[in-house]
Amino acid sequence: MTPREFKEQPLLLDVRNLTIRLNSAAGLVHAVEDVSFVLREGQTLGIVGESGSGKSVMARSLMNLLSRRSVAQRQGSVVLSGREISALSEREMQKLRGAQVAMIFQDPMTALNPVLTICVQVSEPLQQHLGLSKQAARQRTIELLDAVGIPDAANRVDQYPHQLSGGMRQRVVIAIALACDPALLIADEPTTALDVTVQKQILDLLSRQQTQRRMGMLLITHDLGVVASRADIIAVMYAGRLVELAPATTLFGAMRHPYTEALFNSIPRISDPGHTRLQAIPGRPPQLHHPSPGCAFAPRCQYAQQRCHRETPPVVMAESSIVSAKPTEHLHACFFPVAKSASGGVN
Amino acid sequence: MSDQPGQTTPLQLRDRDDIVLRIEHLSVNFRVGKQTVQAVSDLSLDVARGETLGLVGESGCGKSTVGRAIMQLPPPTAGKVLFKGQDLCLLSGEALRQTRTALQMIFQDPISSLNPRRKVRDIVAEGLQIWGRPSQQSRVREVMEAVGLDPDAVADRRPHQFSGGQCQRICIARSLALDPEVLICDEPVSALDVSVQAQILNLLEDMKQRYQLTMVFVAHNLAVVRNVSDRVAVMYLGKLCEIGGTGSVYARPAHPYTRALLASIPDMNPLSRHQQDGLPLLHGDLPSPANPPSGCRFRTRCPNAQALCAEKEPLMQAVRQTEQNEPQSKTTGVVSDHFVACHFPL
Repeated sequence: MTPREFKEQPLLLDVRNLTIRLNSAAGLVHAVEDVSFVLREGQTLGIVGESGSGKSVMARSLMNLLSRRSVAQRQGSVVLSGREISALSEREMQKLRGAQVAMIFQDPMTALNPVLTICVQVSEPLQQHLGLSKQAARQRTIELLDAVGIPDAANRVDQYPHQLSGGMRQRVVIAIALACDPALLIADEPTTALDVTVQKQILDLLSRQQTQRRMGMLLITHDLGVVASRADIIAVMYAGRLVELAPATTLFGAMRHPYTEALFNSIPRISDPGHTRLQAIPGRPPQLHHPSPGCAFAPRCQYAQQRCHRETPPVVMAESSIVSAKPTEHLHACFFPVAKSASGGVN
Repeated sequence: MSDQPGQTTPLQLRDRDDIVLRIEHLSVNFRVGKQTVQAVSDLSLDVARGETLGLVGESGCGKSTVGRAIMQLPPPTAGKVLFKGQDLCLLSGEALRQTRTALQMIFQDPISSLNPRRKVRDIVAEGLQIWGRPSQQSRVREVMEAVGLDPDAVADRRPHQFSGGQCQRICIARSLALDPEVLICDEPVSALDVSVQAQILNLLEDMKQRYQLTMVFVAHNLAVVRNVSDRVAVMYLGKLCEIGGTGSVYARPAHPYTRALLASIPDMNPLSRHQQDGLPLLHGDLPSPANPPSGCRFRTRCPNAQALCAEKEPLMQAVRQTEQNEPQSKTTGVVSDHFVACHFPL
């Protein structure tokens, strides 16, 4: 689907100014700072960031999965299909989880209950949300397992998680997530714990199911390569903030934020000859306990100027998208944006 | 080379003077309950001086076990590990301890491979102290500076005060302190953030030049292996599938498994989105190494498998070079440097 077609799709998720501060032994952690984005039906938003960039905290907070004790502060609004969900009670949230929003976690080993059969675990949402009988839920479970590519589903259904391989377990987790036909699927590093060959199978499976069901999907990953060819829109997070957001093709055509550019350049590429010197990013991601004033990336940024260390850059519309006739929304948070094309051309 | 009866010298081993590490018919078995798992089965390869050999494969294919078997951790069940012509498997006790200083290892998780109670200075100096090497202080300073750590700032701190990338630098400094000839890196960057990964890869490359290291680089990330390796060995379920010059293997994979691995790499081009499906790809998961398939171990997932593949185990054979190939080995003339174990190579 082109961005233009998406413009006509109804809004599925609207996150505005989401800010989350967490309690920790070392003090308040500014995990998510003023993040806003929208997701339309059937769209995939890829959220890219390194560990500690706040991407998982944000995803969990959308589902209200952060423990009450750990959250010190939470601001902003989350509107799902026209309904504000950030202030829902736990009971109301329960009705939503699994039915309208479902989540896939990184580690399929720990996401499943080791002492319950696959059947019990996949049936649970079917019985809970759809009110299916035990027998009907079992039948539906077998169909679901079949749909996510588990061979011999009728027999597998009575097995326990330990009898399945990592890839198969992740398929079961996906089956659970898809059970009630959610409108929004949040996939938090769904393939990080898996081998490359299995990673591709799982990503292909997610893409297929998403197209069939017209789900919206948040695909969270640290791997720019995973989202490049899978996401419609890519959001890059750094130190809890959204630093760049654009349709995938636009982003790879012209990266604006120096962090996006640096991240892209630091990845070894299969097409480069051996022993190519990598363009490493100096330093390391900042601690989020005491955010310093200014842009969080400034200490590692090769283009940083004095202003970058003093003021926090606001999220603004990239110039090219204002000028161009195409309705592409390209946002970035940088005072001195770069213009880098993924094909290597720098203007 | 004294071949044991019934064992011929594997084709892929090179007859060169500068071979530092030579593994012949290596097998490593583990007992799991009542079963025996063949983690590595009859694997032969060699590494020349100054070369980096990349070892790739899915988790459970035995690549880490090969790295550890070289170090005799634990000693292999069968086969030889020749370091500069000397079989490490025949050494024991003190002799092995002496020889092993020339081989050092770096592990995947840099934080858990450092003792949290010790100061960085002591961690890096430990090998030197054990061996009573002279001028320890200056050597510790030198390797710490070499890996990009400021000795004055970090020497008296403990590992928990450092990030993963910094800890990996400490691990590298520790491994270099005894001036090793061979560095075995077991997934050295897979626990690190993308932005730090490039720093460590660049550092390893610098250290290789500076200290003239020979490296065995175990990793599952094919792009990383492409970047660091001169030669690459692809393993599947304890067996060597393909070995050759990195350029040759990546450009013209001869084993269906290698091709599938390469096809699994996510594409960095957003425009390739709709071309993703339909590529020849692996089905299913890795079979249990306790009960590997007969014949070729890859046949259960191979798109090209035929009856022969179930009956007979494929032997290593040279990959036929096409004309546009760069001349692979000028010194030996006709011999190819690219080998594959497949009945029906691509």
